[in-house]
Amino acid sequence: MATMASRGDEQALFVRKATGLVRGWSVRDAFIYAAFSINLITLGLYIFSFGPFIPDGSLLWAVLLGGAYLVLQGITYASLIAAMPRAGGDYVWISRVLGGGIGFVLAVAGWWFILWLWVPIYANILNLEILAPLSAIVGWDSAVTFWGGDDGIFLSSVITALLASLFIALGIRTYARLQKICFYGGLIGLAVMMLLLLVNSKTSFIANFNEQSADLYGTKNAYDATLKAGTDGYDPPALGAFALGSTLLLIPMLAFFNLWSNWGATLYGEVRGASDFRKNIYAMAGALLATTVAAIILFALFSKTFGWDFYNAANNAYWAGTAPTGAWPYPGLLAASFLPPVLQFLLVAVLSLWFFGWVGTVFLSSTRVIFAAAFDRVLPEQVAKVSRNGVPTIALTLMLVPSIGLAALYAYSTDFRTYTLDATLVIAVTFLGSAIAAAVLPWRRKEIYDASPISHYRVLGIPLITFTAGAFILFLGFCLVKWLQDDVYGVNNKDSLIFMGAMYVLAIAIYAGSRLYRQRQGMDLKMVYGEIPAE
Amino acid sequence: MRIFFATDIHGSETCWKKFLNAGPHYEADVVILGGDMTGKALVPVVDDGDGHWHATLLEHRQDLDGEEAVVAFEQSVMRRGYYPFRTTPDEVDELSSDESKWHALFDQHMIGTVERWMGMADEKLAGSGIRVFVCPGNDDQLEIDEIVEAAKTVELGEGRVVDIDGFELASTGWANRTPWDTYREEDEPQLRERIERMVEGVTTPPERTIFSLHCPPHGTGLDDAPQLTADMDLKDAGRSTVPVGSTAVREAIEAHQPALSLHGHIHEARGTTRLGQTLCINPGSSYEQGQLLGAVIDIDGKKKVKKFVLTSG
Repeated sequence: MATMASRGDEQALFVRKATGLVRGWSVRDAFIYAAFSINLITLGLYIFSFGPFIPDGSLLWAVLLGGAYLVLQGITYASLIAAMPRAGGDYVWISRVLGGGIGFVLAVAGWWFILWLWVPIYANILNLEILAPLSAIVGWDSAVTFWGGDDGIFLSSVITALLASLFIALGIRTYARLQKICFYGGLIGLAVMMLLLLVNSKTSFIANFNEQSADLYGTKNAYDATLKAGTDGYDPPALGAFALGSTLLLIPMLAFFNLWSNWGATLYGEVRGASDFRKNIYAMAGALLATTVAAIILFALFSKTFGWDFYNAANNAYWAGTAPTGAWPYPGLLAASFLPPVLQFLLVAVLSLWFFGWVGTVFLSSTRVIFAAAFDRVLPEQVAKVSRNGVPTIALTLMLVPSIGLAALYAYSTDFRTYTLDATLVIAVTFLGSAIAAAVLPWRRKEIYDASPISHYRVLGIPLITFTAGAFILFLGFCLVKWLQDDVYGVNNKDSLIFMGAMYVLAIAIYAGSRLYRQRQGMDLKMVYGEIPAE
Repeated sequence: MRIFFATDIHGSETCWKKFLNAGPHYEADVVILGGDMTGKALVPVVDDGDGHWHATLLEHRQDLDGEEAVVAFEQSVMRRGYYPFRTTPDEVDELSSDESKWHALFDQHMIGTVERWMGMADEKLAGSGIRVFVCPGNDDQLEIDEIVEAAKTVELGEGRVVDIDGFELASTGWANRTPWDTYREEDEPQLRERIERMVEGVTTPPERTIFSLHCPPHGTGLDDAPQLTADMDLKDAGRSTVPVGSTAVREAIEAHQPALSLHGHIHEARGTTRLGQTLCINPGSSYEQGQLLGAVIDIDGKKKVKKFVLTSG
């Protein structure tokens, strides 16, 4: 009936057999989710292509420095999980520590509203990395043109939103299984891509690129033409060149890719001690560092086989609208150029598993936040309704319908498309709320902190959670200042600010309205987070 | 009538104290604890002589100098829902090698703590006018019932239908089978019979009936628990969940349609749902952090319960 738990030579704990007594959970499984959330192939390759926007910045150093620094984010979130496990993430952490209203506003803006914008962004990646390259490989020219156009972006947004909904409807258990298959398949694709870049020469690449560009796009001598178009007024820095100021400016841009190691933070198992706390760090920071290292290896291989100048020039030309081929230089397709068409198709398809294993995350966490807010009675009870087979129909609708509306804006307004980093900024503000909550946790919720496995960890006499959260706040503060100050990120124009501001206004209006309504009902929402005195 | 409901405090001294204060705090007329009161672990505080002790909590070994440090440590252990006990290195060895001995010690601590808690309740709530119900859950030994029954201010819920100001509350802490072979679990047909036997005693119409059934109804989201591997590890790092609630509980709710049905058992599955007219609530549990998750419900005898909030006290 009962069991014992050994800790070293002397038994430190006698544990009886009771409900919920489990052995543990695997770092590997958590690592997979975190690696998908950072996603080198989709988010990474997409945002790296914006590198030339900061001409002297070093992608290599920015990825390395940003990745290394954001380990502190992993530790901050691992600490929050350890102190308040299974608590529902940013929403509950901020609500419990800083207040219900702040928690609601920051969480719904960052984990619900702004994810509407992520749908067309995901869709754009779907076009650039999957639909357009596959169409090009099979020689379907009109499809290549279509996916690159406004209607193509809109249609792929609808596909993306429906796919994400389908994965949610299938349930997290099925999605977790699918993710695992996608992860291992995607890893094979990445390994093949790296191998092709390693064993083939630049001369061979130039020859293949020229030949295939002529066949696919009718562009002659495409390598030189791309290089020329992309270096018009732009001198790509060498791979290892290091200009501190410009490189630091790249970091807020790269946050689009490497800020998400904590995406599944609230989904992992309970933290029962120091070893589980470390597991969370290994999973999140491990995925971040592994992805960072993989990115650097890719850069080195791009430099060796494509030529670093060419890689940057091709990206620059594409975003300037002067690329001779007109196509986004997807490194997966470029690497596949060494293969015959059937295998090219296969490699791009296998690499697309990085997209399909990841696309469900756009709605997964949002539905959880919507549920949590409904249970707190800030949103109506009905939004947490699930169908007989467990599909959160109304919560999904609240994601799906607005995201299609925003997708139309994104597809048909070129200005709106430049607000891509709004999607990162609003979530970063939510993370800032959690980081502040983490930093003050040892004082604001002393009892919770003291009872947690992290209370013994200190750095320079400061609680570890405060130290790492403080460092993470500095990072987010730097990014926010840069995003709002510099035009290059595309977020500080009037319309973009109105768009983001509207999300916060909507969140505040919902919270204030609910609060008044519940007050009239005699159910003050203050009750939700007000602590009962113990003595 | 305002009800406060909490559940699964698993030995947490802080949560019990908060539960006793919840009535006045939320201005509730009735407070109900839905089961699983007892803790899951014993923590030895080992005497090293000369006022020095050592003990380990959350895999962190602490050397404790003097009575004050020991008491502070014991409080942090109790806050988490574990039972501290002072001992010697020899006794720890003896307990480690003899399962029956530490089981007996466990029983002693579980029963002793519940007795002490009932005393605290009598002291705190006598004359308050707040009715307090406790219904032990599947993780609570059967002996607990007698102790609760003996308390002056706390009423035992298990297997009974009790009148509360014209409403009737029917409670049981029994659950369907778990992988842990706990004290109060049985196969679904037996559980259905148990609930039906009890519900036969209900005389109020559905809108004035309340169920407090520790186990949540199957397939409602209130019963989503992390999926386990054959080795009892959490599958997919805890992300993958499966419904583990009771079909018998679900059938009983669907058949009788009480206005309110209160549940616990699955700590992660905090939420609310409706089965027909019935509002089903599982407030979840965060007893390890000393947080008393609960629900405040205003019930008025109308068809549907509409006024409620989940709380995090």
